[in-house]
Amino acid sequence: MSALVMARRRTLTWCGIVSVLLVVLVGVALSTGRLHVPFFDALRALFGVGDSPTVLVVRQFRAPRVFAALVAGAALAVAGSMTQRLLRNPLASPDVIGVTGGASCGAVLVLAGGLPAAWTPVAAVAGGLFVAALIGASAWRSRVAVTRLVLVGVAVQQGLAAVVNLMIVRFPQELAGQALQWTSGSLYGRTWTEVWVAGGAIAVVGAGAAVMHRRIAVLDLGDESAGGLGLDPRRARLGLVLLAVVLASLAAALSGPIGFVALLVPHVVRRVAGPPTAATLALTALVGAVLLLGADYIALNLLPVHGLPAGAVTATLGAPWLLWLMARSEQRTLT
Amino acid sequence: MLISDRSAAPVTPAARRRVPLPVAVGGGVVALVVCCALSLALGARSIPLSTVLRALAGSDHGPDADVVTGLRVPRTEIGVVVGGALGVAGAVAQGVTRNALASATTLGVNAGAGFAVVTAIFVLHLARPVEFMWFALVGAAGAAVLVHALARRPGDVDPVRLVLAGTVLTAVLASWTTALMLASQRTLDEARFWLAGSIGGRDLAVLVRVLPFVVVGLVLAAVVAPGLNALALGDEAARALGVPVARVRGLGGASVVLLAAASVAVAGPVPFVGLAAPHLVRPVLGTDHRRLLPACFVVGATLLVAADVLGRLAARPSELETGIVTAFLGAPLLAVLARKAAR
Repeated sequence: MSALVMARRRTLTWCGIVSVLLVVLVGVALSTGRLHVPFFDALRALFGVGDSPTVLVVRQFRAPRVFAALVAGAALAVAGSMTQRLLRNPLASPDVIGVTGGASCGAVLVLAGGLPAAWTPVAAVAGGLFVAALIGASAWRSRVAVTRLVLVGVAVQQGLAAVVNLMIVRFPQELAGQALQWTSGSLYGRTWTEVWVAGGAIAVVGAGAAVMHRRIAVLDLGDESAGGLGLDPRRARLGLVLLAVVLASLAAALSGPIGFVALLVPHVVRRVAGPPTAATLALTALVGAVLLLGADYIALNLLPVHGLPAGAVTATLGAPWLLWLMARSEQRTLT
Repeated sequence: MLISDRSAAPVTPAARRRVPLPVAVGGGVVALVVCCALSLALGARSIPLSTVLRALAGSDHGPDADVVTGLRVPRTEIGVVVGGALGVAGAVAQGVTRNALASATTLGVNAGAGFAVVTAIFVLHLARPVEFMWFALVGAAGAAVLVHALARRPGDVDPVRLVLAGTVLTAVLASWTTALMLASQRTLDEARFWLAGSIGGRDLAVLVRVLPFVVVGLVLAAVVAPGLNALALGDEAARALGVPVARVRGLGGASVVLLAAASVAVAGPVPFVGLAAPHLVRPVLGTDHRRLLPACFVVGATLLVAADVLGRLAARPSELETGIVTAFLGAPLLAVLARKAAR
């Protein structure tokens, strides 16, 4: 059996394991809460089978949040793996370079302007694209210098933090709390409408990413070889990066800027599944969904203080992992 | 002292200086004096210049004069000390880590102070900025020590890992800070103004209490300045020159912690002053830390006082927090620096 087939089989096995984990987690998340619903009843209630109070609680109150976590986690992880590969830097993920921050800043502006909540995803994507354009304008020369990109991203994030800070200081109390919630990465109060709108858009863009996947593989060979294979490396990279930015912004419209998911899931997947293929992209999405749903479950049910955001959990879980990565890898791979 | 001056001499050829020293020093001091004068003369309340002068001379005691002597004078003094401390802290941090983007913010000091203060408000129900001071100090120092411990390798501290560890710790502490503020509306109300960073409405007593930390921090910075010059050549070269690298780094780190923690205790987290000051000084005076550090004190103080004056003018009759002004001005600067650094 060739090594490639072995790798593919291993990846598919992992996909299966993570899928089972995903279903179990969804069931657990749907059944936990003030009204306890047995595991299988919760899963059945999701499809409208069961007594009506259970169906109401599961379908109207718990399911939107669970699916928001799944969709946002998957989108963040895929966007992260795309930017990390395209920019050839293990630290270049949408949360690090400020794209999700820009998206949530857009969402806060909708709040500040008193616009209806339906505008939130639009404003978030606009914010994310604005940041990407800003970064592109200052970092994109003849080709992308990676350090420059990350540093400009840090600068952009500091500016955005100032904008959000300004609104938090100037807003009346209750709006200040909401603005803060948008900057923290949290899944409270998601509705089916939001999930359908953002989820639909993410599905379309994600499908686009899957179709373009081979181009990333060609770009992995290096710009010269990609040119030799008939692919304009600059245009292809620009298009793919834009795709990743839109994906991450849509995720941020749903969940706010959840940190570390986009940064870490690609690392985890690379460790267990080896070199990237289409199958690992699917695995990345699954792991991202499981991670964010798990983090949200911890924030909602296991922590002593009520009302903590999922973003705090992902940061707490992600930081030691990142530090461990730092400790064991050579510094040149991280800088 | 620890390091011989001779080792640092070759680092700064005189040719690197583009502006004569007296002109540069004079210009810096004049800029600081002008900013301080503006800070005394301008504010939310319009006070005629003659009244300001008479109040400063002590010959006027009306309500306008009380505003000048009771609010604007302490505010300006605090601005000078905090800004100067931040400027020197930034220069030492960049020297110690050999990283042009190091500052109190990147090393996690501000995030540590913010988290400690918000936790104290959440648990102990504090309400006044004076009470925040010690928590800010402890949080800042704790974060700095933790970052240092995370970046340690057997033998020495790795500068790149120091900044990376600072960034990671900042992300985690910031998310915990936000989480606490989301969990309790009262904490959000108390903390949100402090977290924006401002030198307005602070009692001079706060400054007096942290002054010893600032003084010790400045002395330590002066002590390690020649060693930092050697460190700029790389650890190996510095060691070959007989410089005790680990000791320079340790003392320099202590200086950064003392200065940054004292600043954050007084003013709350004010970003970018520590980052910007060394970058503004270096093109004029070169990279010799014996000149760079005092110049950074002057430039840092000027920046902070100028940002404070701008904040007071930008949103009259209310005012913008100093930290928000520095962030708005500093973010484009960092972008420009990043372009240069990676060129």
